[in-house]
Amino acid sequence: MDASSPTLAKIDQPHGIRRHGLPMGLAIAVLLASAIVIPQFAANQFYLHLANIVLINAIFAMSLGLIMSVGQLSLGHAAFVSAGGYISALAALNFKVPPLLGIVLAGLTTGLVAAALGKVILRLRGVYFVLVTFLAGQVFTLIALNWQSVTHGANGLIGIPAISLFGFPLATRLRFYYFALAAFVLVFTFIWALMRSQYGRAFGSIAENMRLAEASGIDVSRYQIIAFSLGSGIAGGAGAIMIHYIRFISPDSFTFSDSIAYITMLVVGGRGSLVGGALGSLFLTPLPEALRGLAGVQHILYGVILLGVLLFLPGGLVSVGRFFKRGLGRQK
Amino acid sequence: MDYATLIGQATLNGLVIGAMYMLMAVGFTLTFGIMRVVNFAHGEFYMLGAFTAFFTYAYWEIPFVVCLLIAALTVGILGVLVEGALIQPFRDDETSGMIATLAISVIIQNAAVLIWGPAPRPMPDIVQGTLMLGPFSFPWSRLVVIAAAVLIFVTFWLFMQGTRTGRAMRAVAQDKETALIQGIRINAIYPLAFGMSVALAALAGALMGPVFSVSPFIGLTPMLKAFVVVILGGLGSVPGAVVGGILLGLIESFTATMFGSLVSDILQLLLVIMILLVRPSGLLGQREY
Repeated sequence: MDASSPTLAKIDQPHGIRRHGLPMGLAIAVLLASAIVIPQFAANQFYLHLANIVLINAIFAMSLGLIMSVGQLSLGHAAFVSAGGYISALAALNFKVPPLLGIVLAGLTTGLVAAALGKVILRLRGVYFVLVTFLAGQVFTLIALNWQSVTHGANGLIGIPAISLFGFPLATRLRFYYFALAAFVLVFTFIWALMRSQYGRAFGSIAENMRLAEASGIDVSRYQIIAFSLGSGIAGGAGAIMIHYIRFISPDSFTFSDSIAYITMLVVGGRGSLVGGALGSLFLTPLPEALRGLAGVQHILYGVILLGVLLFLPGGLVSVGRFFKRGLGRQK
Repeated sequence: MDYATLIGQATLNGLVIGAMYMLMAVGFTLTFGIMRVVNFAHGEFYMLGAFTAFFTYAYWEIPFVVCLLIAALTVGILGVLVEGALIQPFRDDETSGMIATLAISVIIQNAAVLIWGPAPRPMPDIVQGTLMLGPFSFPWSRLVVIAAAVLIFVTFWLFMQGTRTGRAMRAVAQDKETALIQGIRINAIYPLAFGMSVALAALAGALMGPVFSVSPFIGLTPMLKAFVVVILGGLGSVPGAVVGGILLGLIESFTATMFGSLVSDILQLLLVIMILLVRPSGLLGQREY
């Protein structure tokens, strides 16, 4: 990755937050309050469902952004999502493990697998890493498809139980919405705090200039493994949350094209910022619904939007605000 | 079926897919070596080549050799245009370039589904009959694929070694700055290299069209295998792509005959990971900084 590409740590530097401290905090409070209150009044089932998917897709995109913040592009992200989903589904169906525990289990297992895999493949720089994550994702789909006795192959697993909190099942869309919102806020806060810690600064310096970071005494591969396993673990946990909501998983639930969709969300929203992944999901998740009459065109449009953003708005949607602010500043 | 037949079959099949992997991997490695672009749309150009051959050969009944030329030219020209419009802007940003080729791949594949539909179409064989050699019997249609692939590669190799443009391309691959100082026009070399690379993919697709069937989704597997090959042989290394391609074809054919294709695919990935553990830049590759 070259020096001009933005990274999470570079843009959201602490002094930036302190400078906009009060208005920023206020904006977040208002956003969060409306996210909690509005569904109570506008309980349209379809929009609620969309909101749930937006929240979970946002977690997928943000966790991918965490991996990208050390300058590595993972093309196997959907495989970790799928793996998390299968782990929690199989635990719930075969061993009656409560979904909440299953989600934690899924996150831990996928994170550990990513750490082991990362130890091998993160010795590879850039391109080799991308290619191997792609291959690993393909092999995962193959295994899920062919391990009939466990995964039921292409038929998938049905009848996955809903998450229940203290014996209170989150079986309606509204109840699940608050769970998804909480998960989203949790992941957002976690990554936000991580990026402000010593880890975030190390991640940023690695993405900026890997060799310089290494020469400055930063253990590059250690931090890359940490980012890769945290990102993949979060994806696995969120994948488990997703399948306890959809209540079904098959090898086709999360495939390579989903990996591309997460990348698209991240890039369109803005890879340099944590808000970017969330914004990308908010913009792109409802898009297929708007284009429902034009099946097939929707994928092409995804591709065109991705190319357009790469070419004309490399910072993504989050940079639009910054762009305008700069324009206004000049007018003064 | 006795042993000799089985071994003969497996070897022949291995050489056929190996020849295809070789063409795919050489093109893939060419764009990386010269432009430092990882082309995730490589498989889609293979698919376009197969469709071009399908329409020209099965519908219009043009001689197959001419079909190959048409496929290489049309897809090659498309490649030159794509490079100029969509890949050149990301010349100094490897990650964005990769994501751009992903987007191109999504667009081409779904456009193909929209235009030609998702159903696979069988394509007639190029030649009939079999060659009998002792206990072995080889269908001519497969032998022709191998021969054509070898011929295409030799032509490519002679071009790279013997012509001014080929030498310029190799110079750019070795050292971009020094090549620039020598007066090589990089802005002309890049689109040409990309066009040649995807033309090789199109030729592979056109050759394999009659062997497998033709559909918008056929590009994924050859591209996956091209990845495996370049990881084995080293990114940017043409000899590595040739050796790796044929080797992978043979390994795949024999393991699939013995253990089934799923085990074969998983073994391939394990092999890749093991080789990367020992030699992080591939078998014949140079260390990448």
